Amino acid sequence: MRFISKIFPVLALAGMVLILSACAEMKAIPNLSPWHPEELAKGPVTCTECHEDQQKGTMKPFSAFNHTQIFLRSHGFYVGSDDRLCNTCHKRSFCADCHTVRTEVKPAEMLSDRPDRMAPHRGDYLTLHKIEGKLDPASCYRCHGRANNERCVGCHR
Amino acid sequence: MKKLLYRMFPAMFLLSLPAGALAAETSVDSVSMLRFRQEATGFEKGTFIPFTQFLGVDVDKLGDGNLSLHLYGWGRLDLADRINQVDNSDSSIDGSLTYGYLQYRFNVANAHARAGRFSFNEGIIHEQVDGVSARTDLPYGFGISAFGGAPVHTISRPSVGTDGKGDGIFGGRFNYRWNGRFELGVSGVYETDAPTTSTTDPRFYGSHRLVGGDLFISPVSMFQISGRTSYDAETGNFAEHSYQFLVRPTDTLVVAATFDKQNYRDLFFSSILFTSPDFLNRLGEKNRAYGLSAVYNLNKNADLSGDFKYYNRDIGDADRFGGDLRLNFPEKSVRAGAGYHYLRASSVFAVLPIPSNSGSYHELRGWAMRDTSTYFASFDLINQIFKKEVEGKDAAWQGTATVGYHLSPDFSLSGDLTYGQNAQYNDELKGLIRLTYNKSTGKGGLK
Repeated sequence: MRFISKIFPVLALAGMVLILSACAEMKAIPNLSPWHPEELAKGPVTCTECHEDQQKGTMKPFSAFNHTQIFLRSHGFYVGSDDRLCNTCHKRSFCADCHTVRTEVKPAEMLSDRPDRMAPHRGDYLTLHKIEGKLDPASCYRCHGRANNERCVGCHR
Repeated sequence: MKKLLYRMFPAMFLLSLPAGALAAETSVDSVSMLRFRQEATGFEKGTFIPFTQFLGVDVDKLGDGNLSLHLYGWGRLDLADRINQVDNSDSSIDGSLTYGYLQYRFNVANAHARAGRFSFNEGIIHEQVDGVSARTDLPYGFGISAFGGAPVHTISRPSVGTDGKGDGIFGGRFNYRWNGRFELGVSGVYETDAPTTSTTDPRFYGSHRLVGGDLFISPVSMFQISGRTSYDAETGNFAEHSYQFLVRPTDTLVVAATFDKQNYRDLFFSSILFTSPDFLNRLGEKNRAYGLSAVYNLNKNADLSGDFKYYNRDIGDADRFGGDLRLNFPEKSVRAGAGYHYLRASSVFAVLPIPSNSGSYHELRGWAMRDTSTYFASFDLINQIFKKEVEGKDAAWQGTATVGYHLSPDFSLSGDLTYGQNAQYNDELKGLIRLTYNKSTGKGGLK
């Protein structure tokens, strides 16, 4: 105990030096651009069409963000660690087309003029959810689990 | 002097707001939607005419240029009678604020702070919060983010009178990233005690407290592993594992293998809806799902994809396979697609799970759209063919046609007509008129 109390000032000083040097280092960490500098083509984009697939700093390779059908289905993995990169091209309201606190219309109806966009529950999903919900309830849970959507609690009381 | 300064600062701040707003870059996204729906079930007919206004506003470069304001929400007025499905009341007016927050973006380290209503999506955390949050990159590849406040409450489950959420919530993520080739994150969320009722079972339902990790490994661009694992601290068990292994053997081919495992009791533990009596018999179950999918770029205008998924449940197995063709001709402003999938599922997954029924069905979809500088049009046809009849129907289909006109580069007016026949409705007719306004005074490609 006495030893710890003796070295405490040294540890505190070392900690302060570390924090100060980290703060100084932070000034050298550049920001991502808040917006994409060029107008993007309509439809899903392939980042590597323009960007060389080189890894810069702590940026993940551009090929990881090519908007293939596989990327679109698993975009949740990327949002969880790189949403600031998503925000350089997408407006915040882009996500809110599907991901909302309270859903007024199902995404497929909201995006009925955009059949190219991934929108869950196209067609008569009221019938299909009685099959899909039994098959993979976790896929329902991701959006509806804690949202208590009116359409859900209307029946599942 | 001090008193004078205290009075001057708020006054100066308020006076500077209009000047800041004038200097700001503003983006407005508005969708006004008038829907018409007629449903016929047997001899009864119902007509619904809701008018909904969706509005999103982003105001950037406020104050010193780093402050921004972001708002998005909707409001609805029912022009015909509408019965609320939850409390059977006439709810002709309704609305919701999806997000509304101020953000300050610092000049270095991708740091920002937010205050208001926002969604926090980091690692295993996906929460809608009224509160504050902050994130920053740290030296040597580290990063940190945190949030705190109150969870955004939703409508209550009628039989228990609560939405199942606590009053306070906080959490965050700490991560290490090496050269963009490796990332490891640990995250957690703690919500204050969940409300309990006389009918909720503490073995299956309780507070929302999760910890977990996320992973990204890509030693070379050709290989990539992404995934996450969450652990419910209340039940003391893993809630979910979700991982994807991706290979890009050539520039035109991507192949992905996925593995998902969920323990339903632990995953659904803090959901008042998923622990309702309808779901209780499933809470002791596990699910494992293995998937394989591939996308092949036939040429610069066409993608072909195929996918297979095998579901291994305690109550039975199922699999789904199929493929999609997608065409994109940007020079002609045309996009189109077609797909086929088959779900092979036994009677335990059927709408009415009795041995003579089946959960299997074929699904076919075809769509096309054209969006020129003057007009846009699309159609979308989807058809499900059931292996065994569902509520007396052996198939369901729905077709939607849209025609629209760009009144100006920012304004467009369009109309939809949807008709279908399905197990719910002998005839389902829906119409929609949509007025869209998208205006941005900022720069860059915002999709």
